[in-house]
Amino acid sequence: MNPYTKYTEQELVSLLLQQNDQAFSYLYNNYSSALYGIINQIVPDKDIAADVLQDVFINIWKKISFYDENKGRLFTWMLNIARNAAIDKIRSKQYQNSLKNQPLPEIVNSIMANTVVNPQVNDIGLKKLINKLKQEYQELIELSYFQGFTHEEISKLLNLPLGTVKTRIRSALTQLRTLM
Amino acid sequence: MNIQEYISSGIIESYVLGLASTEESTEFERLCSQHSELVEARKNFELALEEQAMQSKITPPANLKDRIWTAIRETSATNTPKIITMESRPGRRSSTLGWVAAASIILLLLSVYLAYNFYNQNKELKGSNKDLKEQVDKMAIEREITHDPNNTVVNLVGLKGSPSSANIYWDSTSANVYMIVKNMPQLPTNKQYQLWALIDNKPVDLGLFDAPKDNKVILKMKNTQKADAFAITIENRGNTGGPHLGDLQSLGKAKL
Repeated sequence: MNPYTKYTEQELVSLLLQQNDQAFSYLYNNYSSALYGIINQIVPDKDIAADVLQDVFINIWKKISFYDENKGRLFTWMLNIARNAAIDKIRSKQYQNSLKNQPLPEIVNSIMANTVVNPQVNDIGLKKLINKLKQEYQELIELSYFQGFTHEEISKLLNLPLGTVKTRIRSALTQLRTLM
Repeated sequence: MNIQEYISSGIIESYVLGLASTEESTEFERLCSQHSELVEARKNFELALEEQAMQSKITPPANLKDRIWTAIRETSATNTPKIITMESRPGRRSSTLGWVAAASIILLLLSVYLAYNFYNQNKELKGSNKDLKEQVDKMAIEREITHDPNNTVVNLVGLKGSPSSANIYWDSTSANVYMIVKNMPQLPTNKQYQLWALIDNKPVDLGLFDAPKDNKVILKMKNTQKADAFAITIENRGNTGGPHLGDLQSLGKAKL
């Protein structure tokens, strides 16, 4: 494949829909390390993160016909597949067991353990930006974006009214935006 | 609604990052089809996010690409979308019956003999039609559609802010046309969507359909051997006339 070939997103989607091998290769060469970076921010273990990345690319390949350009860019779609797959992984029984069989009610502790045990993942990407937010916002983004808790779950975990959780997450996100 | 206030409310970030609720997402998508500045703001954030991700790359293990390829080859054809056969739904056989009726009138006018002939023919047709349907095994279709190298995939994109989009899988050898609806808003009950093939700038009807309640279903449309482009319009229910091109929703060229 010509290393100088550059596809627009639309061309890439059209070729992927035709199950074009070169388009897949292009997709992998250009996006795998960015997606691996995202997955690593959620799943710190490099080997487990690689398994997740594999599932992500298989899903992109199989589900490309469901990608809808009216709803967002191809990268956004892939990013969300990666984030969801990574969160599914850390929520899986198997993964939870590997975290020394902690009982579920102590899930909050495991979140903290995750952050402490793997400090290296805090210095890249969104996590790096989030460190610049105030503590209360950092916690909310960590729980919602990186751990995949719903607003309702966060409301219970932090003992805050649901409305407050929603407003604060929105504020945290708009602040995050200004840092980008 | 003040769209500028909405834009700066955090909804864009929330939607793009996948943190918005289903209701919030539906509302956001609806407003996107009405306000181009909202789409613009969404795209800006998406680009910033992509740039951010590109700055935090981590190189995956060297053998992973090969591992993924092997896995893809092994696990192909595992997902099975629901299939709705257009012809089998009540009220949607009008075009076939229309032809049958028209043909029978002409034949009746010609002679009783021909009418008798036609009766037999019709019976045969119904029989073979039924047989055909039985042959159309769901798995086989799905595999055929997504893995047949003869299939041309045509991406229909929404026009003039319409969110309607679909993929057409078209095999010009067998003339089969399948459509996977990605996004078709529900219409008032007196309206239906209609798929057209444009052949030498003339529209040819490929079938009326309702917006599926569940997106991502496969619709079997009428066959066509030729098509320069495919288009979707909104028509009155049971439309038998030509297309209202003013209501053109989506368009895609058959040849890239």
